[in-house]
Amino acid sequence: MKRRRSLFLHLNQLKQMIKKFALVILFLAALLLMVLNKNNSLILENSVAPATGGVAYLVDVLVVPAKLLGKAYDYIDELQKIKKDNRQLRVENRELKVLQNKYKALEIENKLLAELLNFVPLPEAGFVSARVVAEESNAFTHAMVAYVGDNKVDKGDVVLSDDGVVGRVDKIADEYAKIIMLTDINSKIPVIVEKNRVRGILTGDNTNFPKLIFVPLDAEVNIGDRIVTSGVSGVFPAGLPVGQVVAVSKNEIKVKPFASLSKTEYVKIIKYGISGIIKQSENEK
Amino acid sequence: MDDNFNENVVPFFQKSLPLVSSVIVMLLAYLPINFALFNNIRPDFGMMCIYFWMLHRPDLFNLLSVLVLGVVDMLITSALPGATLGAYLMMYVLVFYTRKYFNAKPFIVIWYGFMALSLLTILTKWLLVSVYYSTFLPMSVLIFAYLIGVAVYPLVSIFLAFLQNTFIQDEGL
Repeated sequence: MKRRRSLFLHLNQLKQMIKKFALVILFLAALLLMVLNKNNSLILENSVAPATGGVAYLVDVLVVPAKLLGKAYDYIDELQKIKKDNRQLRVENRELKVLQNKYKALEIENKLLAELLNFVPLPEAGFVSARVVAEESNAFTHAMVAYVGDNKVDKGDVVLSDDGVVGRVDKIADEYAKIIMLTDINSKIPVIVEKNRVRGILTGDNTNFPKLIFVPLDAEVNIGDRIVTSGVSGVFPAGLPVGQVVAVSKNEIKVKPFASLSKTEYVKIIKYGISGIIKQSENEK
Repeated sequence: MDDNFNENVVPFFQKSLPLVSSVIVMLLAYLPINFALFNNIRPDFGMMCIYFWMLHRPDLFNLLSVLVLGVVDMLITSALPGATLGAYLMMYVLVFYTRKYFNAKPFIVIWYGFMALSLLTILTKWLLVSVYYSTFLPMSVLIFAYLIGVAVYPLVSIFLAFLQNTFIQDEGL
């Protein structure tokens, strides 16, 4: 009886102690989270994933009424544009038919030449279309959450919109995938300037215009040059459209992504079967 | 049945309203809305909620609520884990020690208070993230986000005040 009473007193003291130092404990917890993240802790990642799924589901539910209002506004807005677009599309269609014929001829030629060189092609890409349910772009992060359902998506898979590269899958949480946009500070993509094959790394800095770094000093990069993935790291396949150079100064080259990151409603998560490279490098760590 | 409902559920709902409303407001900020003003400079609604509820209902909004908001942010965003929690705790501390100066003051004074305290909070987060990445994050985006946050605060404040006046009655607590 006495022992139980003393245990109760100890517990009470402990509770009061925690209450007294709660603020300090929480500040330390925040710092600990940062340290764990710095070390790419799997404990943090695995424990956060199921909870992220739950929170993403909540956002997904909230999206429905907001989307309905947005859709109604867009419908009225788009009616005015349809006539103009139709005219433009007819012209484009004619041009595309000519290009399609050229493309078919080149495809056959390419196949014949590849056979002659005994070239081993990259694996065929499959893709998953996913709806964006949450988006975050501010001074601290540029990311989005997409609903992927039961489809198998891996960390490191490339994410594209109709216009170009959006980013890569960073985390999987149940039926949702967290996507790091190419403008995020954590994003680093090996790219080349399409015109002259100059290599560089496109790195996000949490602005709308990522920087092109590690470009040779004597390289000729001009405003308007197209930037595509180089495929050097093995994670991003080569040749995917990324963006266009919009500013060149002595210190930095700024690129505007082709993908309208703030207007992306649906994304394609491409599976080239090479995301295993990321897993392999993580296992080695 | 009705008495039981009134005695148990209603007070629980009233007590949890500040936290629940803050979580919902925070999640609304992550909706993929194509709104030009918020492009790249979405304000931090969590910070506004902490400021509002800590000033107006500190009895219903405590350290645990701040922790929940910090964790929710960590779960939904890809921001540096712990940085938002650190910033929210900073806001909690600042409001905790300054709220006596805002007691029964006109809204404009409270708004000025938000201007000052949110600036300190944002700078704390900026410093934490910059130290972590060993690079200074762009200040221009941060300043725009801060200004948008200051501009939006009255709207959020009106919404939260409406919730408070409509659903929280002191005699029920």
